Amino acid sequence: MELFARNFKFSSLFLSSSVILSVICTSEVPRPRGVSLSRASLYNPERNFLCFDNSKTIPFVQVNDDYCDCPDGSDEPGTSACPHGIFHCTNAGHKPMNLASSRVNDGVCDCCDGSDEYARNTITCPNICMQLGRHAREEAQRMAELVKAGKHLKAELSQRGMQLKEEKKEKLVVLEKNKEEAERVKQEKQQIKDELEAAENKALEIYRKMEDEEKKRKAEAEAAKNREEATETFVKFDSNQDGFVEISELQTRQTFDKDKNGEVSVEEARYFLNNEDAIDLEKFVTDAWPNIKPYLMMDAGLFKPPVTQEESPSEADDLQGDEADEEEAPQDEEEPDEGEDEPEQPEEAVEEPAPLPYDDETQKLVDRATFARNEFADAERAVRDIEAEINNIQDYLEKDFGPEEEFASLQGECFDYSDHEYIYKLCPFEKTTQLPKSGSMETRLGSWGRWDGPEDNKYESMLYDKGQSCWNGPQRSSKVKVVCGVTNEVTSVTEPNRCEYLFEFVTPAACREIASDVDDLHDEL
Amino acid sequence: MALNFKCVYIIVVALAITSAVDKGNFKSCEQSSFCRRLRNAKPQDADFVLNLDTLHVSDNAVEAELRNEEAEATFKFVLTSLHGNIFRVFIDEEKPLHSRYQVDGALNGELQVAKLEVLERDKEKVVVRSGDNKAVITAEPIRIEFFKNDVLVAVVNDKGLFNMEHLRPKASEGEGEAEHTKEDPGAWEENFKSHHDSKPRGPEAVGVDVTFPGALRIYGLPEHADKLALRTTQSGGLDPYRLYNLDVFEYEVDSTMALYGAIPVVYAHSDKNTVGAFWHNAAETWVDIGNSKDTNVVSSIVNLVSGHQPENTVDAHFMSESGVFDLFILMGPTPKDTVRQYASLTGVAPLPQYFALGYHQCRWNYNDEDDVINVVDNFDTNDLPVDVMWLDIEYTDGKKYFTWDPIKFAHPNAMISNLTSVGRKLVVIIDPHIKREGGYFLHEECLANDYYVKNKDGHVYEGWCWPGSSSYPDLLDPKVQDYYKGLYSLDKFHGTTSDVHIWNDMNEPSVFNGPEVTMPKDCKHYGNWEHRHIHNIYGLLYTKITYDGLIERSPDRRPFILTRSHFAGSQRYAAVWTGDNDAQWPHLQASFPMCLSEALGGMSFCGADVGGFFHNPDTELLQRWYQTGIWLPFYRAHAHIDTRRREPYLFAEDVRMRIRNALRLRYALLPLWYTLFREHETTGEPVIRPLFYVFPNDPNVVDVDNELLVGDRILARPVTEAGVSSVSVYLPGGANEFWYDVEDFKQYQGTGVITIPVTLDKNPAFYRGGSIIPRKDRPRRSSSLTHHDPYTLYIALDSNKSASGTLYIDDGQSFNYRNKKYLYLNFEFKDNTLTSSLIDKTDYPTDAWIERVVILGPPAGINKAKLNSKSLGTVSLETSYDGENRSLTVRKPGVNIREPFTLKLH
Repeated sequence: MELFARNFKFSSLFLSSSVILSVICTSEVPRPRGVSLSRASLYNPERNFLCFDNSKTIPFVQVNDDYCDCPDGSDEPGTSACPHGIFHCTNAGHKPMNLASSRVNDGVCDCCDGSDEYARNTITCPNICMQLGRHAREEAQRMAELVKAGKHLKAELSQRGMQLKEEKKEKLVVLEKNKEEAERVKQEKQQIKDELEAAENKALEIYRKMEDEEKKRKAEAEAAKNREEATETFVKFDSNQDGFVEISELQTRQTFDKDKNGEVSVEEARYFLNNEDAIDLEKFVTDAWPNIKPYLMMDAGLFKPPVTQEESPSEADDLQGDEADEEEAPQDEEEPDEGEDEPEQPEEAVEEPAPLPYDDETQKLVDRATFARNEFADAERAVRDIEAEINNIQDYLEKDFGPEEEFASLQGECFDYSDHEYIYKLCPFEKTTQLPKSGSMETRLGSWGRWDGPEDNKYESMLYDKGQSCWNGPQRSSKVKVVCGVTNEVTSVTEPNRCEYLFEFVTPAACREIASDVDDLHDEL
Repeated sequence: MALNFKCVYIIVVALAITSAVDKGNFKSCEQSSFCRRLRNAKPQDADFVLNLDTLHVSDNAVEAELRNEEAEATFKFVLTSLHGNIFRVFIDEEKPLHSRYQVDGALNGELQVAKLEVLERDKEKVVVRSGDNKAVITAEPIRIEFFKNDVLVAVVNDKGLFNMEHLRPKASEGEGEAEHTKEDPGAWEENFKSHHDSKPRGPEAVGVDVTFPGALRIYGLPEHADKLALRTTQSGGLDPYRLYNLDVFEYEVDSTMALYGAIPVVYAHSDKNTVGAFWHNAAETWVDIGNSKDTNVVSSIVNLVSGHQPENTVDAHFMSESGVFDLFILMGPTPKDTVRQYASLTGVAPLPQYFALGYHQCRWNYNDEDDVINVVDNFDTNDLPVDVMWLDIEYTDGKKYFTWDPIKFAHPNAMISNLTSVGRKLVVIIDPHIKREGGYFLHEECLANDYYVKNKDGHVYEGWCWPGSSSYPDLLDPKVQDYYKGLYSLDKFHGTTSDVHIWNDMNEPSVFNGPEVTMPKDCKHYGNWEHRHIHNIYGLLYTKITYDGLIERSPDRRPFILTRSHFAGSQRYAAVWTGDNDAQWPHLQASFPMCLSEALGGMSFCGADVGGFFHNPDTELLQRWYQTGIWLPFYRAHAHIDTRRREPYLFAEDVRMRIRNALRLRYALLPLWYTLFREHETTGEPVIRPLFYVFPNDPNVVDVDNELLVGDRILARPVTEAGVSSVSVYLPGGANEFWYDVEDFKQYQGTGVITIPVTLDKNPAFYRGGSIIPRKDRPRRSSSLTHHDPYTLYIALDSNKSASGTLYIDDGQSFNYRNKKYLYLNFEFKDNTLTSSLIDKTDYPTDAWIERVVILGPPAGINKAKLNSKSLGTVSLETSYDGENRSLTVRKPGVNIREPFTLKLH
C-alpha cells in the first residue's frame, strides 16, 4: 500500500542561497523531508520553528535549508547540515528507517526508497523497497517457519529435558533414601566391628607386651654392639693412648679426606671430632661415632655414597702408587673388622619382628574382628558410592539447561566442525577442542564456564574458558553463539582474537519467538 | 618448511614480549672496522692537499687535483655552484682500481648549475662567489669555508678529519709490511657474530667533518627514535648516529641506533642563520655530532671570566664505508630556504589522493574477507569514519606476494567493491623477499631470468624471511625493474583494482638470518656492485618500482605507497611510517620528533602506528594516541598479531566518543592538510613543521619537539603523558602573536609557556592568529563522501584584525590537476572584509559552497554581513556572536567555493 509520492528530486539549486522548503506531500499530513509521521506535528509551516531542545526559535523557512541552526539538529531533519541529525526514510513497502544525517546526500544510497540522495542528479537511487520488502517478508516467513519447526523440536527437547530432570529428581529421592539405609547399615557394622575389636585388643595385649620386650632387648643389644665397635675404633685411633682422639690422629687416616684432595685437613678432622680438637671416649661414642661410622663403612664398600666410581676415594688411591701404600696399610688392617660388621647390616633396615603365633582362642577373635572390619569397609564404600551419585545428580540439577530444560539433551553429545586446517569439537556443557587435521594433539579451547549472552537473553551465547594456555599468551577460550535451527550443528568457527575462538552453533533449543517489529512496519502504512 | 619457519617466528615473538631491542644483534661503531678507522683517526693521519697549479675554472665549477702524498693517491676535486644557493663538493679517485659507487636514484633528475666566479686565487687558496654565497678553498690541507652574506656559516674539513681511502690491491704475505701494520684488522675481512664479510675490495671508506660556526642546534639524519635536536656523540659517550637501513626488532627510543630509513642530511640552526649539509652516499654511514654547549665547558668558563659570550658551534663528522665523496652545502639562510634547497636536490612528495590523508585501519591481520567487511560495518554503525582497510602478510597464499589466500580471500573483488561503494580503498602488503617454492610463478621467473641478488660466490642468495627460505630481486638491474613493475598490472595481480594501493614492508631488506637482520654486504648486484655499496637505496629502488608499476597500472590515479625503508628521495614515491613501535608512552612521545625529523628530510608524509604496534595499550594511551595521531600527516592504526583487537568501536562509549571526536577533527581539517600537501609539492615546504622552522629567530624553541605546526596555521601540543591534569605549552611569536584554542576559541598571546588544564577529552591545539583555516565540518563515513560538502572558514585574526589563508581543491584522485583542473584560492581578511580570489588561473567545477564563516577574536558590534559575488549579487547575511564573544559566525554565505566574492561585516 503506497500512500506517498516519492522521487521528489531537488536539484542542486538547493545548494544556492535561495531557500527551498522541501515538503513531502502525503495524502494526509504534509511534513518536511526526513520527518517521521509521528513527529510531523512538530513542524508547522504556519509558525516559527522552535528547536526541540527549546534553545532557539527560527523562521520556518530555515527548516531544512541546509544550515544547522539548532544545536540538537532538529531544524534539519532532511539534510546533512547538522552533525547529530536524524533523517527518517519512509521506505514504503519495506521497513522505515532512521538514518544519521551524515548519510544524507553523501552519494551512497542508504534508504531503499532512495530518499536520502536528492541533491545531485548524478546520483540516482532507485526505489528498491518493494523488492527488499518482499525479500524481507520472505525471509521473515522463512525464519518464522524455521522457528516454528525449531520450536516444535525444541518442545520435544524441552520435554525430554524436563523428563530427564524429573527422572534425576526421582532418582535423587531414591538415592537419598538408599543413603539413609546405607548409613544405618554402616552404623550397625561399625558397632559390631568396635565390639569385636575390643575383644581382639584385649586378647592381643599380652602378645603386644611380649613383642615390645623383644624389641627393647634387640635395641639394647644393638646399642651395646655399637658402643663396643666405637670403643674398639677409639682405641685404634688413639695411637698415643692418652685417652683422647685428636686431630692429628685422624689426619693420618685417608678415610677422612672428605674432599678427596689427598690430604685430611684440620677442618676435615674437626668435622669428625664434632668440631673439637680432641675428645674422650664418651664423647667419641655419642657425638663423633655417628659421623665416623658411615665413612668407615664406605671404605669397606658397605655403603655407597651418590658419587661416580671415578671419584670414589679407593679408586683415587689405587692410582697413587707407592706413596699411598703406607697410608693404605692401616686401612688393610681394618678390613677384617669391617668384615665382621657385615652380619649386622640387615639390622640397619628396621624391620618389624615376625609376629608371634597366636593361640587358637586368640586367633578366632582376630579372625572375627577382621571379618567385621571388612564388613564395615563395604558398608562405608556403599555410602560413598551413593553420595557420589547424589553429587552427580545435584551437579546436573544445578546446571542451567535453559528455562525449559531445552538444552539438557545436548549434554553428553559432541559436534564437529571442520575447516581446511582443523577439526573443532563442541561438547556442550563440557568443553571445546581443536584437532589439527595433520594429526597430532587435540587442544582444549575451553571448559564449560557459563551462559554469557546479553541480559535479555543470556542463552544466546556460551562461554568455555580456562582452556590450554597459548604459548606465552593467555589461556584459550571460546564463545559459542547459539542460534535457532532445525538441526544441532556447528556452522562456523573463527578466531577473531588470538586464542579467542568463536563457534556458531545452531540448535532447535535456541528457537524463540522472534520479537515482532510488526508495529514498525505499520507505522507508515 | 613453512611449519619449521613458524616455530622460529614464534620464538622471536616470544622474546619480544619480555624484552626490548637486543643491542647485541647490531654493531656499535667499535665493532665496525671502517667506523673505527675513521672515528679514531687523528687530524694528521691523512694529509690531503689540493694542487692549485692544476686548478681549472669554468662558469659553474672549479676543479683541481687532490693528492694524498703519503698514500701516493691522486683524486679529482670539483666544487660546483648549483641553482638555489647550493654548493656541491665532489671528489673521486683519478684512476681507481675499481670504480667507486655514485648514488643513482636519490637526486631528482639533472641538477641546475649556477654561475660562479673566482674572486681571488693564489698558491694557498682560491676564493669563489656565487650570488651572496662565497667559498674559500684552502689547499694544504684541503679545507673549505662557506660564507653567507660574508658570515662564515660552514667549514668543510675544519677538524681535518677528511679521509678517502683509495682502492688498493690486497698486499700479499711479506709485502707492504709498512701499510699492513697500520691497517685495521677488519680492513680486508670482518666478522660479526656468526657472519663473515669477505670485503673483496678492502678498505674504501670516505669521511669528512663539517663545522657550523654560530649554530645552536643541529637537526636531521632521520631515521632515529630520538629527540629532534641531535645530541652530542663522542668516543666513550653516545655512539654516532648510524644510517644503515635495518629491521630493528622492538627498537628503543632515545637512541642513535640505526632504524629502517636513512636520510643523510643535517640542518645547523641558530636564531640568526640556518645552513645544511647533504651527504650523498648510499653505503653504511655513521655521523658523529658535536655541540660546543656540551663539550666546551672549560672555554665557556674562560669566556665567562673574560666577559664575552662564546659563539656556539656544532659539527658533524660523516663516515661512510664506501663510495665517492659527494657533499652538498645548503646555504640557507632560513630553515625554509634550507629545506627547500634540499627539496630542490631530492624532490618533493607528489600530491597524494585525498583519501590517503584520511584514517587508515590496519592490523596484522584481518583474518578473512568477512572480517574486513565486519570491521568497516562496525565503523559505520558507530559513526566512526575510516577511509582505508589494510591487509598484512596473511592475505597471501602462504606468503607468496601477488597471490591471495584461496580460502580466506577467495573473492577479493567482491570485498573491494564493498569497500569502494562507500568511497573506501584497500591497501595490501607486498614485500621484496620472494618465497623459494617450486611452482610459484614469481620465484620461477626470477630464477629462470636470473633476476636474483647473488651471494659472494655468484650463486643466488638465499635468506630467511616470512615465507621461510627466500631470495631477493636485484633491483639495480633495469630488466628486473621493468619486470617487477609489470607485476602490479591488473591482469597479473588478479583480484586487485585501481582502488588497491600498496604497502612495501621489509625492504631494508630484512633478512632474519642475515648479519644485523639484513643482506650480507658482500652479496652481488647488477653492475658488479656489492650490496655494501648500495644498501641504503635498496628500499628506495623498491618503492620507485612500485610507483612506476602503479602509474602503469592505473595511469589516471595517483599511487599511494607506504614504505618502511627509505632514503633521500623516497618522498617522490611513498609515505613512510616509523615502523614497529611499542604501545608505550615514550613511543607515543617519539612519534612527533621522529616525523618532524623525517619532514625536514623531505618525508613529510609520515606517521606512527596509532596505538603502538607491539603489546596492548591501555585505553588512556589508545585515546591519546588517536588524539595525537591526527596531527601527523599519515594517520593509521596498526597492531601486532598477538595483541588484542582494539578497533575503536570495541570500547566503552566514552572512549568511543573521544576517538570519534579525534577522527572528526582530523576529517574536518582535511581541506587544510590537502592544501598543505599541494603546497609542499609546489614549494618543498614540509607539511608539518617544528617550531624553529616557523619561528627561526626564537632561540627558546630550538629544543621543542613535543609540539608541531600544521603548515603554519595550527600549533598542536597533544597530551602524550599518562594521567596528567594539565600540560605546558610553549606559544611562540611574542605579545603580538595570537593563538586561539581550536575547541573553545580562547585567545592566547605567543609569550612563551602557558599551562592549560586537560581532561581526557582535551587535545590541545591552537589556530595561529592571522591565518584562515578551511574546514569541512560535516561528518561522513569516508573522505571521498565529503567531496561535494560545503566549507566552513575559520578566520583567526591577528593583532591587526586581519588574516589570510589558502585553499586547494581538485578531484582528489587523478592527475588532471596537472592540466590546470584545480582551484587554488586565497582568502584575505582585513578591514572587516573577507575577500576570496583565485591564485592560479585554473578551474575545477565543484558543487562545494561556503556554509559558514567563523571569525575568532572578532571585531565588536557587528550586526550583519553583506556578501557580494557575480552570481549572487549582494546578499545580506545574519551574524551572531557566541556567548563569550570569542567568535562571530556569519550564517550561510552560500556562495560556491570557486566563485570570487567579498564579504563585509557591518
